[in-house]
This record gives sequence, structure tokens and C-alpha cells, in this order.
Amino acid sequence: MFGYCNKVLRINLTNESYTIEDLPEEYIKKYLGGRGFNMKRLYDEVSPEVDALGPHNKFIIGVGPLSGTLFPGSARVNFSAKSPQTDSLGDSNAGGFFGPELKFAGFDQVIIEGKAKEKKYIFIKNREVTFHSARNIEGKDVFETQRIILEELKDDRVQVASVGPAAENGVKYSGVFCNLVRAAARTGMGAVLASKNVKAVAVRGTMDLKAKNPEEFMRILKEVDHDVYNHYEYETRKLMGTTKLVHALNEAGCLATRHFQTGRFEHAEEVSGEYLAETYKKKSKGCFACTIPCSRFYEIQKGKYKGLKSEGPEFEGLAGFSSRVGVGDIESSLKAVDLCNRYGMDVISVSECISFAMELYQIGIITKEDADGLDLTWGNSDSVLELITKIAYRKGFGDVLADGVVKAAERIGKNSEKYAMHVKKLEIFQADPRGLKGYALGVAVASRGGDHLRSEPSFEFTEDSEEGIRRFGAAESAFRLEYKGKGRVVKFFEERSALADCLNVCKNTITNMEILPFEQAAEMLNALTEYNFSKEELQKIAERIVNLERAYVVRCGITRKDDTLPERFLKEPLPSDCGQSAGSVVELELMLDEYYKSRNWNFITGIPTIEKLMELDLNDIIKDLY
Amino acid sequence: MYDLKVVVEEVKGFCDMPMHVGDYFEVKGGKIVIPEGKYMCIWALQSMMPFLPAKQRKIDEENDWIPYTERLCCPDPNGMVIYRIETIDPLTKEVIKKERKEGDTVKKRMLVNEDLCTGCRACETVCSFNHTGSFCGENAKIQIRKIEEEGKDIPQVCRQCGNAPCIEACPLDALYKNSETKAVLVNEDKCIGCKKCEKACPFGSIHFSENNKPIICDLCGGDPACVKRCPVSALTYGNAGKKN
Repeated sequence: MFGYCNKVLRINLTNESYTIEDLPEEYIKKYLGGRGFNMKRLYDEVSPEVDALGPHNKFIIGVGPLSGTLFPGSARVNFSAKSPQTDSLGDSNAGGFFGPELKFAGFDQVIIEGKAKEKKYIFIKNREVTFHSARNIEGKDVFETQRIILEELKDDRVQVASVGPAAENGVKYSGVFCNLVRAAARTGMGAVLASKNVKAVAVRGTMDLKAKNPEEFMRILKEVDHDVYNHYEYETRKLMGTTKLVHALNEAGCLATRHFQTGRFEHAEEVSGEYLAETYKKKSKGCFACTIPCSRFYEIQKGKYKGLKSEGPEFEGLAGFSSRVGVGDIESSLKAVDLCNRYGMDVISVSECISFAMELYQIGIITKEDADGLDLTWGNSDSVLELITKIAYRKGFGDVLADGVVKAAERIGKNSEKYAMHVKKLEIFQADPRGLKGYALGVAVASRGGDHLRSEPSFEFTEDSEEGIRRFGAAESAFRLEYKGKGRVVKFFEERSALADCLNVCKNTITNMEILPFEQAAEMLNALTEYNFSKEELQKIAERIVNLERAYVVRCGITRKDDTLPERFLKEPLPSDCGQSAGSVVELELMLDEYYKSRNWNFITGIPTIEKLMELDLNDIIKDLY
Repeated sequence: MYDLKVVVEEVKGFCDMPMHVGDYFEVKGGKIVIPEGKYMCIWALQSMMPFLPAKQRKIDEENDWIPYTERLCCPDPNGMVIYRIETIDPLTKEVIKKERKEGDTVKKRMLVNEDLCTGCRACETVCSFNHTGSFCGENAKIQIRKIEEEGKDIPQVCRQCGNAPCIEACPLDALYKNSETKAVLVNEDKCIGCKKCEKACPFGSIHFSENNKPIICDLCGGDPACVKRCPVSALTYGNAGKKN
């Protein structure tokens, strides 16, 4: 196996059987890896009309050519299906060790179809599959599930991707969790797996994965190492990982605070990554083969949460359960993230649903009685923690929030939908789009809904006018509060992110740090695999994937009118205490025009033009759109 | 067991006991003998006490630094009394002098700091890639054992023990040390796969391949790739307490 395993595993749960198929060469040449493979499969095999929680949806696992190699952070794995949360494209990826193990077990992709008659977990070992009863782990949390499966299989090198009780209770934003806390949390992939009566997928691989030209591979890896170790963000990332953003975004005046009522949190320093690193952090942790160990293991030594220890959290969980809900006590934020991990839920969606409820409580749309007697005043951490459990078990008011913020607003009524912070039914992250225009555009157009990880246009933090002009034709493109050039920036970074997700390498490295330019990526793949790629081909593959995803969501009914942001970001300026971001709203339409233009999509409908689809060799999907 | 004679060799600072150059005591078997009418400073004595039984050992391990260590200093920073420890054969009463030979330096070892290990398995991956051409860490000569709920990542790799228990445990002399690096190597033709070495290893660092042969770190011939790949220096190749 040189980079690719060239095999696809297709599992039929209904009759507990499996087949092994060859990976079509077209997949490699046109879709490269993990996310590309999954999107192609989803497009071809899961029609947009399918019931996301029914047996005809397919749960697809994909890894890429760099997965399992020495490339730093070659750890990611994509889980894709039609999303029960957004009724559209579902795709989420996680780090850890599951992806590489799947490669060593001999597969580039796994397709899970049908529905098991009773609760099962699947064990894949070196191209063989066994089905195991999961009756004894039904309803167990993610941590316990992994512990029991490792004990049963008597092998602690087995990697487990499992769902928690939230998924089994049908929480729409439940995820798939690897290595306890490595969450593929977005778009409800956990709910899909649980709907198939599958509690977990365990994998163990000992097969050889080689490089076609090892010396050349190591030569390029040495260059990559040099770029990584000399990157100006290296030390910060190693110390704090994404948690560095609490302080940074608060300084910028765009840290999601009290459900985006403002962008500055008065307790930000007490819940910052810096504070975490100085206090509770015990050591750095890393995903598979990563030389930028950005994750952390922490332990709380005393007080109310004494003994709480875990890996994490990342920025989204930390800010989601501190600034977003007005909690200035970092220990309860850590507890909240830990609960979400154990129940198996997405911290972004959970924190949105809770902060949404807290805002409704503040303005009187809901009362204590509506919320099962919980006092939902900003900063009430006990209520936050209790609500997390209520959501996971769909108890009382938790049931109202468990289908996502859009459905919650529908059930609550009273014009509450304008407070629902989502795009295309997916809740948005912990940065205020008003202070980050490129991210605002990225979130508005992202194929899987309100999501920043489809683009990550962090270039807009660089404040380097010359680079802005050189790379994106506008000095403004390098400044977060400016608009010009952002359409092109987002397009470029959507393609960088697609590249990362297809190689199945971490976006911190490929997208944010911009390690491995397209040209070097091509060189590396040519040394690793039996295929030949050029820089231009890789760029085209990335663009093709973005367009294929767009075509899928268009078939789900998405048009330009859905490429928007919640009203607050378009109309209410950020308050005066938000530093440079003060007074900002997002003027989206101009950026959208520029984006569609650079994408060659129809300005009115947002559908890729026939010309563009043909240019990208996507002729076969034209009939679906026109 | 050797006897010892501990002699004040030099007083560099100011000793108010006072100890004088030439003062001494003897260690004979399990007894400390102080010459009639003389005495010994208790602070200096207590600081060197744990070391004395070690110096009495007769075993001559590889990589053993104790035979070469002959001088100890009183812990009082103002005193700076230097004691010389002479090793004496109890039968012949001769002073045993172990001279360090040219190039006879203390060998480097694989040093592991579990508290720093991030558990990323880059070491496994590069080890396997260099030795087998495959990225899959299954047959890597270093293995990371993980206890995820506790956040524990334990690198399991050969530490080049002086009196290697694995070599002693092997009934067929299939294990031996490389004379240069002191890495434990396997003579696969002799090995019968009894796994006694695996059980003997105090670090759990030996595991068996599918063809039932032990997989043990060979130090990549003296320049271990895993050490170079580790981003947090959880693995180092050198002497404890010294920078490389």
C-alpha cells in the first residue's frame, strides 16, 4: 500500500454482512482523499430526499493519502452522511488515532448501510469485520464505552469511534468521538450512527503502509519540519493550541459574549488559554505523529470539581461554556466540556442552544417555569451544567433544545427565531462575525452550514498589506475589519481546507499555518503514492470538491438567500466597548458578490454555472442542477 | 565486598569541626570504624552514607560509573572538605584502583520522561518506517502505551540496562550487546521464541513480532531516529543529568 489502500469496505448492517470493493481510480484522481471520497460517495449514493435517520442514509468514513504517515498531524478522519440536524450535507472530522488505524487496517473508505436489528458495535481488523453485541454498553457514556470495548477485545491498541447517550437519545447535534475527546461533533453524525443501532466502530490494523519513494518522502518531510518548527505560531500553538483564541479574540473585541450581545468578556483572562496553561495544564498532548502537540491534559486538584481530569478543551468548548454563557469560572467551563464529551455532543451547538435560552430568559420570552425551574441568568454555571444533562437525555426543557436552535425557536415561538444563531440550521462558533469579515463570509457560504472550518480565512489577521495585494489583489484582504478581497480569500482558504480534509491532515497546519503549499503537496504525494499530481491538479480537485458540495446542498434546496448570517450580525453594531471592532456590522452582500464572481457561481441563485462545472469535469452533475 | 577507607584529601574552604587533611575512617564489612581518639563530622558522614554500600559492591557492570567515582564533597558550601574514598581488598589489604581507559566513557542511553510524552506515536512511526519501510507502528522497536483516561503515555523502549535482565533470562544466548552502542541485539537464528526476555524486562520494552521474535531497540546504530522525531524531548539519548 503506497499512500492509498485502494480498498473500500461496505458494511450492510441489516444482514450483518460486508463486501470489499476496489477504490475507483476516478476517486483518487478527481477527489484525492477522505472528504473528497466521502462527498463523492454521498453525492452518488445518498439522495437529498433520504430520511437522515432512516436506514437509507449511509454513514461514510473516509481517510486520505497522508493518513497514518509521518506527516505532522496526519491523524484526521472524516465521518459523513446526510445530516439530521441540517437536513443537508453532513460531514465532520476528528483527530486522534482512529484514521491512521483504519489505514493500517487496509481501507481508504468505509460505508455503513442499513440498520442493525439490535445494538451492535463493529470491529474492523485487517480487512475483516466482526459484529459484536453492544447490549452491555447501551446508553453508556463515551469514556465507559471505549473502556469496555478495549477490555472485550483485549487489545489496548484498538481505536474506537463511538457515540454517547446523547446520540442514542436522538440529540440532533450528537457526534462521533474518538480517543475519548476527539470529536467529529458537527452536523449530527453521532445521531446517524446511533439511528443504525451502532454504538461504536472499533478498528485495529497491522498492515504495511509504505512510501513509493521513501528517501524523497523523507527529504520533503524534512522541509516541512523546518517550516513547522520555524513558524511564528509554533510555540503558542504548542503551549495553548486553539485556546489561545479566548484572549486574542477578546482583545480584538469579537469574542462571542452572552450570546453575541457583545464582543468583550470581563472575565476573559480568567478563562483564557494562557490561564489554563499556567494552572490546570499537566502536559501537552498530540494527535497521531504530530510535531505540534497543541492539545493538553489538565487536572483540577481541589474544590467543587476536584479530580476532574481530561484532555482538552479546545477554544470552541472553552469559550462556549464561559463567555458565550457569561460564566467566568473556568472550572465549571471545563466541567461543561467534559459533560459534552462524555454524553457525546457538539460543544458549539450545545453552547448555542443554552446561550440562546439564556438570552430568551433575559428578555422574558421564556420564564423559569418554561425551563423546568432553572434560573437561566447569565453566568449561572449550575444551570448550564444541568441543562447539558437535560439535553443529552431529552428531559423536560432539554428536549426543546435537543433538535438544534432552529427547531427550538420553532417550538418556543414568540419571534424567538431571530435570536437563533445559525446558518443553514447549523449553530455558529464562538467568534463574533462582525469583527472578522472574512470569517463572516466563510460561515455564510460554508457547505455544511454555520461553520468556520470549511474556510478558516486566518489570513485576515496578518495585517500585511503587501501580501494582501500580492495574493488577493487588495491590501484590505489582510485586515479583519475590511471587506475588499475577502471573496477571493475565502475561496482560497476553502480550497486549502478541502486539501487538508482530503489529505486528512490537521487544518491548524495546512490552513492556518499554511504549511505544505499546493506545489509541495503534489511533490509529497508523488513521492508517497503511485499516482502523479501537479499543483494545478490539486487546486482543481479542491475546487471541484467545494463545487460538488455546493451542488449537493443546492439539491437540498439551498440558494443564495441561505448564504446569510443571523440578523444581529447584519444589523446590530458591536457595542462601544469592543475596541477596534466597536460599531461593526457585517456588510455581507458585497462580499458575497465578490465570492460568487471568483467562484463563477450564479449571482442570483448561487448555483455553480455550467461553464464552471464543465471546467471542473463535473459534467455528470449538470443534469441535477439544471 | 570491598572495604573502604575514606580520607580527608583537601579542605578547600573553612571547616569549623575542624576536619584535617589525612583524617579518615574505615568501612569494614557492615561496620564503620573510626580510629581511636579521632572523630568524624556527622554532616559530611550522613551525606556520603548512601554511597558507601554502593562503593563496596564487587560487581563490575557495564556502564557502571561508581568504580570511577572517588571523591565526595561535604555539603557545607563554606566548608568544601573533599573526601577521597579508597577501595580496599579485605584479604590483600591492597588499594584497588580502577583507572579510566582512553575512550572508556560512560555510554549514552535512551532516557525517557513519561511526564513529557504527548502520546503522538511519531517515534513509533519513524522507527517502523526506518526499520521496515512501513509507517504502521506495529513492529516498531518503541511502543507507546496509553491510558487515555489518566492522560498517561508511557514510552516502552530498551534502556540498555547495565546488567540486562533480558540477556540473563535468555536460555540460548540469543541476546547480546553491541560492543559500541551497548544496544541489545537479537540473534534470530538462536531465538526459540520462549519470551523469557519479554517477562524479564523491567520496563516492558520487549514485544514480539508475528514471526515470534523479540523486537528490541537497536539505537539505530547510535543515532536513534525516534529521539530526533520527538517534539517535546520526552525521549533523549545521552547521560542523565547531562545536556547532550
